[in-house]
Amino acid sequence: MTAGKGWWGQRRNRQLTLIACFLLPSLAIFFLYRILPLGWNVILSFESWSPLKPAAWVGFEHYVEMWSYDDVFWVSLWNTLIFIAASPLVIAAALGVALLVNSDLRGASVYRTIVFLSYPLMTVAVGIIWRWMYDERGGIINYALRASGLVDGPVGFLQSFDWALPSVIFAGVWQTIGFYMIILLTGLQSIPQNLYEAARIDGAPAYARFFRITLPMLRPSIFLCVVVGILNSFTSFDLVYIMTNGGPGHATELLITHIYKSAFEQTKFDYAAALTVVQFGLLLLLTYAANKAAGGNAGAVEQD
Amino acid sequence: MITRRTLLKTAAAAAATSVISAPAIGQGTKKITFLTWNIIDQKELIEGWIKRFQSTRPGVEVEWLDKKGPEFAPFYQTQLAAGTPPDVINTQGALGLEYAAQGALLDLSPLFAREAATKARYDANYLGNWMFEGKNYMVPFYITKTLLFYNKPMFAKAGLAGPPKNFDEILAFAQKMTSGEIASGFMTLNFDWLYWPLFAMSGVDLVTPDLKKTAFNTPKAIEVVDKLAKATQSGAINKISWTGRWVEPNGAFGAGNVGMLHAHSPAYFFFKGQGSWVTPETLGVAHMPGNYATPNSHGLGISKGSKNPELAWDFVKFITDNAQAGELATRRKLVTGNVAVDQATLAKLANDDPTVYQVLKTQLEHTDKMTGNWRFGNDTRIKEAFWPELQSALLGRKDAKSALADADRRMSRELTRS
Repeated sequence: MTAGKGWWGQRRNRQLTLIACFLLPSLAIFFLYRILPLGWNVILSFESWSPLKPAAWVGFEHYVEMWSYDDVFWVSLWNTLIFIAASPLVIAAALGVALLVNSDLRGASVYRTIVFLSYPLMTVAVGIIWRWMYDERGGIINYALRASGLVDGPVGFLQSFDWALPSVIFAGVWQTIGFYMIILLTGLQSIPQNLYEAARIDGAPAYARFFRITLPMLRPSIFLCVVVGILNSFTSFDLVYIMTNGGPGHATELLITHIYKSAFEQTKFDYAAALTVVQFGLLLLLTYAANKAAGGNAGAVEQD
Repeated sequence: MITRRTLLKTAAAAAATSVISAPAIGQGTKKITFLTWNIIDQKELIEGWIKRFQSTRPGVEVEWLDKKGPEFAPFYQTQLAAGTPPDVINTQGALGLEYAAQGALLDLSPLFAREAATKARYDANYLGNWMFEGKNYMVPFYITKTLLFYNKPMFAKAGLAGPPKNFDEILAFAQKMTSGEIASGFMTLNFDWLYWPLFAMSGVDLVTPDLKKTAFNTPKAIEVVDKLAKATQSGAINKISWTGRWVEPNGAFGAGNVGMLHAHSPAYFFFKGQGSWVTPETLGVAHMPGNYATPNSHGLGISKGSKNPELAWDFVKFITDNAQAGELATRRKLVTGNVAVDQATLAKLANDDPTVYQVLKTQLEHTDKMTGNWRFGNDTRIKEAFWPELQSALLGRKDAKSALADADRRMSRELTRS
């Protein structure tokens, strides 16, 4: 028997080993920093624990607390869903901008740069800038509204129970729209032009070309935007923390800020773990739904 | 001239010496860590203390760490979980009590019993703010409580002679000084129960004396909240009172168009830096009606997990003794809770800086009327149950009755759980 016919001699085994070698460092890090903490987090959610207290099994106690007694959980869940619901609107706006800057518009590249400029800014900086812009007394938004006669008195955007959440969402939109635009622009530019030419020859009007060619071909890009949008909504901690810290009351509380406050301000790490499990479950559910909506195979590698 | 060979020989000899001597030093070294709360600006002072402390205690090393307010608790908690807590910690407000309740801090009572002179060094009422279940867990590092600052020109313009004497006068005075969007009459800080004197002066208690049940859901409390909400709605109380934290209310008062500010003493330095109108002639300083005030002091405690608790205690005593506390008081113009140092500081300031003297004098008066300093082991959770509901009422989201009923329900649950 020759060496070439042993286990190592088989080409497929050698390829698999090579793939495993390449993947192993990433998988190890993923396991150590994602899977292991998540697993421990799930266990912790069924325990009573604090840094100086030994863990004790309490079953579903934290989940019962969350479901039956924690008003803030429901408020923050609702706010998180509103945050998520804003994503499609941002993506639609980003698509509009992407279509504009992808056209023959004069100075399109300049507009593209301007729209994208907000994205690389630190979220903390964005929060501080918008907090000042929204300021009731010295903010430019109030100044503009009053100067134009649209309002009589100053609007306390971040102090109002009704305006605070939309105001924070708008700041988030301003920051991320450029990112979505770039993703969608890349998608637009990868659509073969011959499809449009064929459609034109067949006499298809512009709206038909958009709905029959552009949108279907953009599906992977839109899916990516939706998933990133959901993730952004779940992790908009810094923006909320800087602009309102969840207030007034809990008007801008998100699940992520509720988790942080439960863990690090109220020393309820065990309860925060249960909240995290719920958030993770919701994230999985929404990602699955987004994937289904995108045709069920978004992100899959097509093989010849 | 130094040749390359000589240089190499010298370097080798130095390296060898350090390698040989290192274990000897290492064996004799005792190390403690000192964690402070956002006083990185006092680097020179604290490093000077550490240098002095180390010079009189050979083989002792003190490492200093400073964390900003929001980072402090996460850092300390992760260190606790890792079993490596900093030996000496400096916390603000009631956080020390929470750590004490969790078993993170060393009970200082036996040390006080052993060293009565050390205990006598501190102001008893401030020291009492860190007593949990009859035991001392922290000592004062620097102390503050709330007082009333007022804008004398605005008072004069409104025809008001002096500070208000009761709750209704606060609102009436505030109303008189209010002028549309241009000026508002009253503002308070709201974090860490700092607004509680408004309730205490109206005879409203948060909890029963045994801290087991709520006591605030009463017709009187509903009346107080209702009045505060209406005054906020009218603009007499600046809305920032219920939405801002530190920069916004102090900045607004510094701008010179708010009649009164209820805040603790450090606020003076903040708004003075922002408001050119603030002079000894224009700024009034008074106690709140009934002499009620809420403390928000900084204390020093020792982690129970300290490997060198005696050394940590030695360090705590060192930095709160007359020399170091005096230095801190002089440099930062504050009071420390060290009775002798504070008396000397005030005596000096009476001549040097009369306004600061007036401000700091209030911090040492009526310390028996401190309120909002309940010895809860879960203060943050209690606050979280109460404040958002109160805020909803004050900003007109809920009526006072239902807001207090909701706060009662949430707070009762926290009290039961604790």
